[in-house]
Amino acid sequence: MTRAFVYLTVCGLVNRMRVRVRRLREPRYLAGLTVGVLYFYFVLFSRPGGSRGHVSAAGIKALAGFAGPLIALASVVLFVVVAIAWVWPSSSKAIAFTRAEVQFLFPAPLTRHQLLHYKLIRSQTASLLGSLILTVFVRPGTFISAWTVITGIWLVFGILNLHFTGVALARESLTEHGVSGLRRQWLPITVIVAAAGVIAMTLIRDGPRLSSLATGRQVLGELGRALTTGAAGWALWPTRAIVRLPLATSTVEYWRALPAVLGLLALNYIWVMRSDAAFEEASAEQSEKVVRGRLAPRPARVTVVSTPFSLAPRGGVETAILWKNLILLGRYASLRTLWRLVPLVIFFAAVASGSRRTGLISILSLMALGGVGLIVLLGPQIVRNDLRQDLGHLALLKTWPVRSAALIRGEVLAPAAVLTGLAWVFVIASVLLVTRVPSNAAGLATVVLNRVSYGIAALLIAPAIVVVQLIIQNGLAVLFPAWAVIGATRSRGVDVMGQRLLMQAGIWLTLLVSIVPAVLMAGVLGFVIYLATGVLPIIAPAALGSAVMLAEAFLATEALGRALDRTDVGSLEPTD
Amino acid sequence: MITVTHLSKVYGSFKAVDDLSFIVGPGEVVGLIGPNGAGKTSTLRCLVGIQAPSAGSVTIDGHDIVTDSVAAKQQVAFMADEPNLFEYLTVMEHLRLTARIYRVGDIEDKARTLLQELQLTGKEKSLPSVLSRGMKQKVAIACGLLHDPKALLFDEPLTGLDPLGIRHMKETIVRRGLAGAAVIVSSHLLHLVEEICTRILIIDRGVKVADGTMADLEAHAEAAGSNLEQIFLKVTSRDGSPSA
Repeated sequence: MTRAFVYLTVCGLVNRMRVRVRRLREPRYLAGLTVGVLYFYFVLFSRPGGSRGHVSAAGIKALAGFAGPLIALASVVLFVVVAIAWVWPSSSKAIAFTRAEVQFLFPAPLTRHQLLHYKLIRSQTASLLGSLILTVFVRPGTFISAWTVITGIWLVFGILNLHFTGVALARESLTEHGVSGLRRQWLPITVIVAAAGVIAMTLIRDGPRLSSLATGRQVLGELGRALTTGAAGWALWPTRAIVRLPLATSTVEYWRALPAVLGLLALNYIWVMRSDAAFEEASAEQSEKVVRGRLAPRPARVTVVSTPFSLAPRGGVETAILWKNLILLGRYASLRTLWRLVPLVIFFAAVASGSRRTGLISILSLMALGGVGLIVLLGPQIVRNDLRQDLGHLALLKTWPVRSAALIRGEVLAPAAVLTGLAWVFVIASVLLVTRVPSNAAGLATVVLNRVSYGIAALLIAPAIVVVQLIIQNGLAVLFPAWAVIGATRSRGVDVMGQRLLMQAGIWLTLLVSIVPAVLMAGVLGFVIYLATGVLPIIAPAALGSAVMLAEAFLATEALGRALDRTDVGSLEPTD
Repeated sequence: MITVTHLSKVYGSFKAVDDLSFIVGPGEVVGLIGPNGAGKTSTLRCLVGIQAPSAGSVTIDGHDIVTDSVAAKQQVAFMADEPNLFEYLTVMEHLRLTARIYRVGDIEDKARTLLQELQLTGKEKSLPSVLSRGMKQKVAIACGLLHDPKALLFDEPLTGLDPLGIRHMKETIVRRGLAGAAVIVSSHLLHLVEEICTRILIIDRGVKVADGTMADLEAHAEAAGSNLEQIFLKVTSRDGSPSA
C-alpha cells in the first residue's frame, strides 16, 4: 500500500510541476518566476562586503558567543509552539484530508494506520522543501554544514509534524470522549502542563534577578543559564535537544545531537500510532467508523459568540460590513485575543514603574517599539478580514445595491480597527517603557513631556498608515485579482513568491508616494508654528499628516470603486 | 420588469451570449432553459450586475444595471445554483446583514415569516457549516426574498432540496409571480419549468432559439401535443442529434 501512496504523492508533485511550467506562458507567472529566481540568486550569491555564499568566520564566531542563550531561547520558542498546538484549535489541520483524498481513500479498504502513514509521507515533501528554503536563507559556509542544516531542519519539521498530528488526535479524543479521552491522553498532557509550570515558576523566581541586571547581554546570559539548568533545564530538554541539531556548528556536534532527535522522532511516531490503538482494541469496527469520521475534513470548528455590537436596522453600509468582518474575526480568531494583551500591558506598566535603569526594561522597551513597527507595517498584510477575504464572495457582493467605493471602505474598517487598537496598546507600552528617565525634576518633565508628545503623535499617525496600507492591499486585490490570495488558502512556488515580491514592492512604493504629501503639509505646519512660537511642535503636524493620509485613502477608495465595478468575477482563479 | 436589449457577453474570443433580447413583465414566471454551455448563467450574471455586458443593456424596473446599478440592484434578487453564504455568519445574521444592505428596516417579523415559509425555523443561530446543502440554499433564498424584490432570478433553485422542500420552493416561486414580481427560473429540470413557468425561453450557443408559452413553443417546433422535453430536444438538436 505504501507504494500506492508514494505513487499518488509523486504523481501529484509531477503534475503540479507540469501545471506550473505550462502556466509560465502567461506573462504574470513568467514575471513572477523571473523576480523569484532573481531574488534567490541575490540571496544566495550576493552579500555586502564582497564575500560570497556563506556566513563569514567573524559572523560565526560572534554567533558562537551567543550559542548557549540562542539554543535556550530557541528551545523556549519551540516549546511555546508545541504548547500552543495543544490549546489552539487550528492545529487539527495536521490530519486534514482534501476532498479528493476523502473521495478516493476513505471508501477504499485501508486501515487508519495506513491513512496516517499516507499523511506522513505527503508531509515529507513540504518538510523537505521548507528545510531547503530555510537552509538557503541560513547560508551555511560549506556543503557539509549545508547538509547538516538541511537534514537537521527536516528532522525538526518531521518531529513537529508528527507531534501536531498526535496533538490533533488527542484533542479530538478529548473532545469526543471527555473523561475517557483524558484517561487515554493523560501522559502527554501531564508532561506539557508540568513542563509549562516548571518554566513559568523558573521565570517568576528569577524575574527580580533578571530585572536588576544592567544590560541586555547580561539578561540574555542569565536567561540562558536559568533555562538550561535545574528543573527548567529538564523541562526544556526535549526541545533543546531538537534545536541543537540544525544549530550544530560542526559535524561532531551534529552526530552527538542526532540520537536524541531520532529518539524523540520515534517516541512521537509511537505516540501517534498508539493514540488510536486503544480505540481499535476496544471496538475495531466502531473505531474504524470513528477514525474515518475523525480524519474527514470538517469545517473549522466555529463557536457562535455574541456579535461585536448590535447592527441597527438602518444606517451606513460601511458599518454593516464592519460588523460582518468583526464577526469573522471573532468567530475564527476570537476577540478575546485582544483581552489577552491586557496582562501584557499591565506587565509592561508594572515593570516600568517597578524597575528603572535595568537591562530587562531596555529589552522590553525595544520589544514594544518593535511591536509598534510590526503591527503598523506588517499588520495590514497579516490581518485580512477585508475584501481580500471576501474575494471568494465577489459574485454575491456584486449583487448588493451598494456603491463599490462604500463597499471597499466598509471592508477595510474591521482590520483597521483591530490593528489600530493593537498599535495603540504597543505605543502606550513604549511610552511607559522607553528610555531612561533623568533623575532631576526638570529633566524628568522634559523627557516625560517628549515621550507623551511623541506617544500622542504616534497614536495619531498609526491608524493613518494602517488605513493607507489596507487600502493599497485591497486595491491590489481589486486591480490584480488573479494575484491576490483568496480566502485562507495560499499558493506556493518561486513564481508565486516572485509575484508577492512584486506586489510588496508596489505596496511600499505606493505607501511612500502617499506619505509624501502628508509629510510636506505637516512640515509646513510645523515650520509655521515654529516661526510663530519658537517651539517645534509634534502633535499638530502629526494630526495634519494623519488627516491628509486619511483623505488620500478616501479618494483612493472612490477610484478603486470604479475599478471594482469593472472587475470580472471570472478573473479570480482558485489557488492550488 | 426585466428588459434585456441586444445583450452580448464575450470571453476572449468566445461569445457566450449573442444579441439576446427579451422582456419579463410583472407577474410573469419565465423559464430559461438550454443545453450545457448555452449561456444561461452568463445571461443571469449580466442581469444582476455580477458581470458587465459586452454589448447591449439590461434594465430592472427601469434602472440600467450598469449606469444606475444601485437602484437596479435594489429591485432584484439572484439565487445562484451554489448558495454563497458567509461561513462565519449565522442564519439570522445573514438576514440582518441583508436587511441592512437592502435598507429593509426592522426585519424581525418578516424574518420569522420567511424562515417559517422556508422551513428554517429553529435554525436562526446555526452557522452554514452545520446546515445541509438544501438548507443553505433556503437561507440564500430567504436573503433574496427579504427585500421584496420586483425581479427574481433563480438558477437551479431545486438543487439539494428534499421532496417537501421542492414542493415549498415551487409554491414560493409561483406565489412571488402572482404577487407581481418578474421571475426568471433557469433549470435543467424541464418538468419543473413546464409546471410553474408562464413562458419559456430556450437559448443555445448564446442565441435565443425559442420564446413563448407552451402552445407557442409547440407551434414553433411544429410538435403539437409534445411535452417540453421533446420540444427542447427538437429545437436544440444539431444535425438531428441533441446538442451536448
